[in-house]
Amino acid sequence: MSAQFHLSSENVNVWFGERHVLKDVSLQFPTNQVTALIGPSGCGKSTFIRTLNRMHELIPGAGFGGKVLLDGQDIYEESVDPVNVRIKIGMVFQKPNPFPTMSIKENVLSGLKLSGRKNDNPAELVETSLRRASIWNEVKDRLNEPALSLSGGQQQRLCIARGLAMDPEVLLMDEPCSALDPGSTRRIEETILELKDSMTIVIVTHNMQQAQRVADQTAFFLSEDGNPGHVVEFGPTDDVFNKPIDSRTNDYVNGHFG
Amino acid sequence: MEKLIDLSPVERPANAQPWAKIQPRLKGVIALSSVLPAVIALAFLLISGNEFMGVLFTVFLPLQILAGGFAGFYGFGRRGILDGLLLVVTYFFATFVLVLLVSVLWSVIENGGKAISPHFFYQNNVYVDPTAPLEIGGVGHAIIGSFLIVGLATVITVPLGIATAVYITETQGKSRGLIRSLLQAMSGLPSVVAGLFIYALLIASGITQYAGFAGSLALIPLMLPTVSRVAEEALRLVPKELRNGALALGAPAWRAFLQVTLPAASSGIVTAVLLGVARVIGETAPLILTTFSANNTNLNIFEGGMSTLPTYLYNYVTMGFDTSLQRAWGAALVILILVGVLFAAARFATRSTPAPKAKKRK
Repeated sequence: MSAQFHLSSENVNVWFGERHVLKDVSLQFPTNQVTALIGPSGCGKSTFIRTLNRMHELIPGAGFGGKVLLDGQDIYEESVDPVNVRIKIGMVFQKPNPFPTMSIKENVLSGLKLSGRKNDNPAELVETSLRRASIWNEVKDRLNEPALSLSGGQQQRLCIARGLAMDPEVLLMDEPCSALDPGSTRRIEETILELKDSMTIVIVTHNMQQAQRVADQTAFFLSEDGNPGHVVEFGPTDDVFNKPIDSRTNDYVNGHFG
Repeated sequence: MEKLIDLSPVERPANAQPWAKIQPRLKGVIALSSVLPAVIALAFLLISGNEFMGVLFTVFLPLQILAGGFAGFYGFGRRGILDGLLLVVTYFFATFVLVLLVSVLWSVIENGGKAISPHFFYQNNVYVDPTAPLEIGGVGHAIIGSFLIVGLATVITVPLGIATAVYITETQGKSRGLIRSLLQAMSGLPSVVAGLFIYALLIASGITQYAGFAGSLALIPLMLPTVSRVAEEALRLVPKELRNGALALGAPAWRAFLQVTLPAASSGIVTAVLLGVARVIGETAPLILTTFSANNTNLNIFEGGMSTLPTYLYNYVTMGFDTSLQRAWGAALVILILVGVLFAAARFATRSTPAPKAKKRK
């Protein structure tokens, strides 16, 4: 039933210790579309995105229930190795995290090295990955310099390039622009729009304008009165922002709370 | 014509720190309050003929505190009193400790310097009796012994210590807390107990004779807490974002650790190793119990007595002759130099790695 979607979640529930933080989240992420996850702080959207590539289970005390289907296959099945899931589903974090001991080039190739794979033409892979992350022109003359010599925005695009070098089917972005200035933010948004032709993208954002600029569909998360977070509304971005069905969505997207 | 604004840099003026200005009158009071107590105390010391330490603490310190409080009050009113007192107490005790440290260092350098000559570093102790002149004999065999014994201990301890640190920081293991507390307790272990343990286990039981490797084994429990706790701190300082970044790229945990976390912590781990070595290089008691000593150069760590710098020092102090004491001082100086070199290396290793700060470039 959900096989027509590239990636989907079915009744995802999350606990931290005994605390139920996410309840019955069922979302579908079609190929070549960008899905934005919005909602106030603490509503569980970052937690949810981490369940999509099994980064969630690295948090001590984490609990999970439900299914996450990638091409119809539940990635939480016993036979599935989380390492293979994370190779197919790349992730970009809130804070740029290039590897400090590596050069720019080594950072791009680090995914291959870290997953123990070989590439016949690393130089070409470095160039295409950096081009796809639209940072090639800025760094092509200094590929052997340490990654930390880049500015924050460039570091984040390097991290995107690092993920792209693995040629993932899905790219998860957890507030990728929250630590960046407007110029860098715009460049990353342009990158997202170029990338969606070749993959499925899920992005968590606190920025409503950003969601409207890049996302085809939007899910609004909310956690009220200590209850676990859940999806209030999910649909095409235009509908969620311009004619929301739920009054709470309307209040949130119009800045009345959160 | 439009007037151009001059944007070129100008030289720093002399008074670029307006907050550091002190009224000249206050300067006088501060100078007076710093000198007067010292003068009074010195006069008292000379006239009364009391002991220096007694005068320092009963006459000079109270006077100096009073004067500091007064200077603070004079300069800044009531809130200045405590500032003045605190300043005096801080400087006094800092100076006191510094003088103590420097005097220890100085006595080792002064006394040890007399015994030191090139041959002191490479000759061994065969045919040297305790009263022999300093022109013959040296600590060459003890330096080699120290290197062999501490080297073997290091080779065994470092993997153990790093593995412990990795267990504590990188895993969710249930006994992390217990192991940490045990390590803490171990760092308080009297070194002679470590020596006795190995002595009872290997030598008294007849498994082996006195030998260098028994000394290495006795040094392990002393070195392990230092290595693992410093390595633990170093690993803890690696941001978890890096580890997550590696895992999110599809790295198995061991690759993420070896290729991302460990390189990022490498300088701290080098420091851990060097501090561990520095911790045990001066240990005497466990080695006396396990390696005995020797006058010849023994390169076999598994057989026969072996001298090390600390045991050499101990032997020559207990002999009690003038020249033997000089040789002991010389050995002390050699240990001091080795430890100094190690700490300098530790400093250098910590500094020379790329600082985890973004150097922005336009």
